[in-house]
Amino acid sequence: MPVKPDELWGVLDENPEAVVYAGGTDLLVKLRSQHAKPACLICLERLDDFKGITTEGDEIFIGALTTHREMVGDPIVVRDLRLMATATKSLGSPPVRNMGTLAGNIVTASPAGDTLAPLYVLNAQLEIRSRSATRRAPIESFILGPGKVDLNHGEIVSRIIVSKSPKFGVHHYEKVGRRDSLACAVVSMAALVNVTDDNIISKIRLAWGSVGPTIMRFRSVESFLEGKALSIKGLSEAVRLVKESVHPIDDLRASSSYRREVAGRLLLRLIGYTPCI
Amino acid sequence: MKFNSINIGSILCRPDALLKVSGEAKFAVDYYENNCVWAGVKRALEPHAILKNIDCVNALKIPGVLKVLTHKDVQGTNRQGVIRKDQPVLVNDKIRHCGDAVALVLAETKSDLSLAIDAVQIEMERLPAVTDIATALETDSHLVHEHNEKSNILLAGDITVGKGLAAANQCDVLVEAKFETQRQEHAYMETENGWAWLDDEGRINIVCSTQTPFRDRVEIAEALGIDPKNIRIIVPYVGGAFGGKDGITVQSLLALAAQHSEGRPVKMWWNREESFLSSVKRHPSMMSYRLGAKLDGTLHFLDVDISLDTGPYDHLGGVVLALAMEHSGGPYRIPNGLIRGKCVYTNNPVGGAFRGFGVTQVTSAMERAVDLLAEKLGMDRLELRLQNALKAGDRNFIGKTLITSTGIIECLETLSRHKLWRRKLSWKCGAPIFKKRGIGISAVMHASGYGPVVPDYANAKLELTENGKFRIYCGVVDMGQGNTTANIQIIGSLLNQPVGRIEVILPDTDKTLPSGSASASRCTYTFGNALVSAAGIMRERLCQKVADLLMIKDSNEFSMVPEAIRHLPTNREIRLETIARTMDLAEKVVIAHFRAPVATDLVTNDQEMRLHGIPHNLFSYSANLAYIEIDEITGKVGVQKYLTVSDCGKVVNPQLYDQQIQGGICQGLGLALYENFETLDGYVLTKDLSTYLVPTSMDVPDVESVALGIHEPSGPFGSKGIGEISTNGPLPTIANAIFDATGHMLKKSPIKPEAVLAALERNLSR
Amino acid sequence: MIAKVLISFELNSKKIEVETEPDRRVIDLLREDLGLTGVKESCGRGDCGSCSILVDGFVRLSCLMLAVQLHGRKILTIEGLNELEGVSISVQDAFVELGAVQCGFCTPGMIMSTIDLLNSNPKPSRNEIREAISGNICRCGAYQKILDAVETVTEELSESKNV
Repeated sequence: MPVKPDELWGVLDENPEAVVYAGGTDLLVKLRSQHAKPACLICLERLDDFKGITTEGDEIFIGALTTHREMVGDPIVVRDLRLMATATKSLGSPPVRNMGTLAGNIVTASPAGDTLAPLYVLNAQLEIRSRSATRRAPIESFILGPGKVDLNHGEIVSRIIVSKSPKFGVHHYEKVGRRDSLACAVVSMAALVNVTDDNIISKIRLAWGSVGPTIMRFRSVESFLEGKALSIKGLSEAVRLVKESVHPIDDLRASSSYRREVAGRLLLRLIGYTPCI
Repeated sequence: MKFNSINIGSILCRPDALLKVSGEAKFAVDYYENNCVWAGVKRALEPHAILKNIDCVNALKIPGVLKVLTHKDVQGTNRQGVIRKDQPVLVNDKIRHCGDAVALVLAETKSDLSLAIDAVQIEMERLPAVTDIATALETDSHLVHEHNEKSNILLAGDITVGKGLAAANQCDVLVEAKFETQRQEHAYMETENGWAWLDDEGRINIVCSTQTPFRDRVEIAEALGIDPKNIRIIVPYVGGAFGGKDGITVQSLLALAAQHSEGRPVKMWWNREESFLSSVKRHPSMMSYRLGAKLDGTLHFLDVDISLDTGPYDHLGGVVLALAMEHSGGPYRIPNGLIRGKCVYTNNPVGGAFRGFGVTQVTSAMERAVDLLAEKLGMDRLELRLQNALKAGDRNFIGKTLITSTGIIECLETLSRHKLWRRKLSWKCGAPIFKKRGIGISAVMHASGYGPVVPDYANAKLELTENGKFRIYCGVVDMGQGNTTANIQIIGSLLNQPVGRIEVILPDTDKTLPSGSASASRCTYTFGNALVSAAGIMRERLCQKVADLLMIKDSNEFSMVPEAIRHLPTNREIRLETIARTMDLAEKVVIAHFRAPVATDLVTNDQEMRLHGIPHNLFSYSANLAYIEIDEITGKVGVQKYLTVSDCGKVVNPQLYDQQIQGGICQGLGLALYENFETLDGYVLTKDLSTYLVPTSMDVPDVESVALGIHEPSGPFGSKGIGEISTNGPLPTIANAIFDATGHMLKKSPIKPEAVLAALERNLSR
Repeated sequence: MIAKVLISFELNSKKIEVETEPDRRVIDLLREDLGLTGVKESCGRGDCGSCSILVDGFVRLSCLMLAVQLHGRKILTIEGLNELEGVSISVQDAFVELGAVQCGFCTPGMIMSTIDLLNSNPKPSRNEIREAISGNICRCGAYQKILDAVETVTEELSESKNV
């Protein structure tokens, strides 16, 4: 259990097989189901350097080890990142949110990770550190596939960086789970939208979870929607486009056809934000 | 404690709750000693195979491994089961499902144990697995049990009612539907476990989580070839059971381990994955219904065909089938029809007892059929039910005359007057954007006790202690249902003692007496009746004793008061403690026996059916209502309100009554909407609580419960069974509410959002 | 054998030191080594909440923590509540009085979640209570009475403050 980054780099150097965890809510479950006992487990929870939420200029910096509970209760998140707050509240359960961290949710890289679709539409960047270097990567290129991320041995995610602007009027996240707590997303959708007074979508970003190997963003759908009315009529063609674009799987939680259908239909929920309502 | 009244009908807080909120309550799983041996099971993980060899060499090489035991180490019949003894303790010839136990490993630590279990190698010859009812019934199907007389059928039977199938033609309206229910897992929070040791006298002592200590003792004895006298079973608090601990889980394995642990205590505790893999489940069912009526709505005919998948072992499969057949027509008068049922062996997980016990399945079918019929007749669904509902003196569908309290009409009438029924239309019309609302109802009956053949009795033992308290020895397990508390109220009110003067001894085959299982909605009815007798004898004996001491002729002049006996004409009192000192042990103990009345109606000549419990004598009833809201975008069903009106006799303790009602509804809603224990070709797919979706606090609404409190003359204080009935309501009530909202009846459970979406789509295109 | 590690932490208001294996789970340390069997295990993988304990005041799952993570922390288990006063006693009493306990296996975890809630939000709404206990599965389905019990505590707390 390193406390300072230097200690961390040291332990990482000495143990090339080391497995790193923060909250343990994913990794320890995985080890149990695989009956695995890694030779070296590094717990990051005491690395205070990688905690806390701050703003600098136009950017918000979220420490990698910020727990989900801390996210939900943070005034900066509540004010500027409502989307993250909503999504994070739907993750797991209260004790899981007390333990799990934002970076943990990212590196687990589950297509159902509840914080991920919001981070995609926020165009989040990850700060990745090793003993000798610091680099930044956009989340979209960092996550390579289910459980796969662009992280080398000796590197850890240190901060998540989100830009404050441009401002969006509508922050929307919906998770479709089979029950209302302790649920894995069957489909989820994050949306940032600006709507004009006469109900026209001026700017929109959309991302879906659990409908492909990673979170999916369809820029063609976004640009198709910009300039359209926020109405059933305006959205219905986009619903069809989304259904054609997703690549969901069948599993115990839902069929691929259901995921496909609902992924599209979730767009309709945006109608609730129509200025005239 | 605010609620400490021992009066019948008042709330007495559960004394066990005091221990449970402080962490002091000891469950079987809380027994540890430093020198204990950990025992664990190597599971087959194959649905169907011939066992060729068990290779323990590598396992035995692991440091810390003490023993690897196989069927060769079992001295008895190596077979266990409640009715039919067909389940091996350790497989000796054939593997019949993935959860079969093949070897028993004893080790120093948990981690040694898990390494060794992985290292045991099973050599086997795989056989094609029989994994669905239709295939199992084909004439050339592989057989799960080669020597079974009826191929893959465990139990089958049919019962003709009235004119039988011929009456179909006399109906003006006939509806026909096929229903399918899923395999449900109990998922009690305390997984199967126990603690055992061989004592100096050579007796095996087992502390375990079970509903049936006395039956377990006999089963272990036979399977392992031990004299039952040399087995003692102790059952502390049980962390939930719901039928899943109605029979052997760890018991025989633990006893076997204790025989080989060289005097050291043995601990076995299945983890969640192992519990899922090897425990019994609610039987998946396929049900065909044809229900017919006259134009005026009088039910005239019902044709039912029920098939249950019982997995490879009987457990209680035959009994579940019989109870399903008995309840297949619901709480209605139906003069004609045919009931066909079969319980089929497969290589799927074992089907067994689960709160509701077959009634859950058939009620869900019948109540949906009634709604379909109401629609076809153009009748109000509540009117149709009321018109045909049973009253005392009627014969139910199977032909049993109802001679005990029968309150289904009152249940339905109370529901009809309730604001949730009266305001249903305005609520339905107020649905917000993207929501569709529906209201569903159902009527349910549920038997209690064992049926006409298997003796349904209890033996209550009551002792006056040295310090003048009363000690209740109850052999019926308290797995959370709270019968212990009801027992305290019975003694407290009959002997006029405050709660602090009453002690309880939990089930222990050395101390308490055989009183049947903690199941079948019978705990308080059967044991309670025995306890009422015991209290009467005790009171009479003590009053007589004091009368003799004081040389007063008429013992009727005495009455029991807290801690003493008072001579009413003179107000003289003698303390119970003082009386206790004048009595010897035999005098201070009262044992009373109660045997539940059984049905004498000869509804079938099939002895097998009678043996398996047809028919029962005593029934509880309920009427249920649900408000649901469907999300049109996702198909998700939200249950907004749930009302249940129940006739389960007089209420002994309203808090315990509510707990049973609310808990059963929670499990029923799980069955209706979430829970599904899935397998593929006999292999288990649902491995843990992240995919087996038990309702959370977010998923169930607050329940409104109205207890009618109708007096049942045969019950203690007018009470009758409450344990199971509430589980049966939610599935049909929710399905009927979706029918109300969408115009489509969903016939397969759990009702998944995708099926609801499809129903909505069909509704739009109509 | 892997070398044992010495850890020290505060357990139920008492400082303790124990030697433990680096891969030992907190729940095993508590139940098997320290005899605190009020902490229950039911799923072993964070799906049920039975093993909940308070770590520095926040509810956490002891099946998903390694014992070494306790070093330097303040741990409270159900057993530790008996020595505390105030909120925890009210919660325990309310669970008994309002019938929030059936089989009792989820109860310790349920109470730990309740205390975490009331520490951070003394006046929760019924829905907030629902959310706070939504990581604790109660298979007996006692949720409604658990909500009643927590609501009662909340009312009592605010009444006693007003007085």
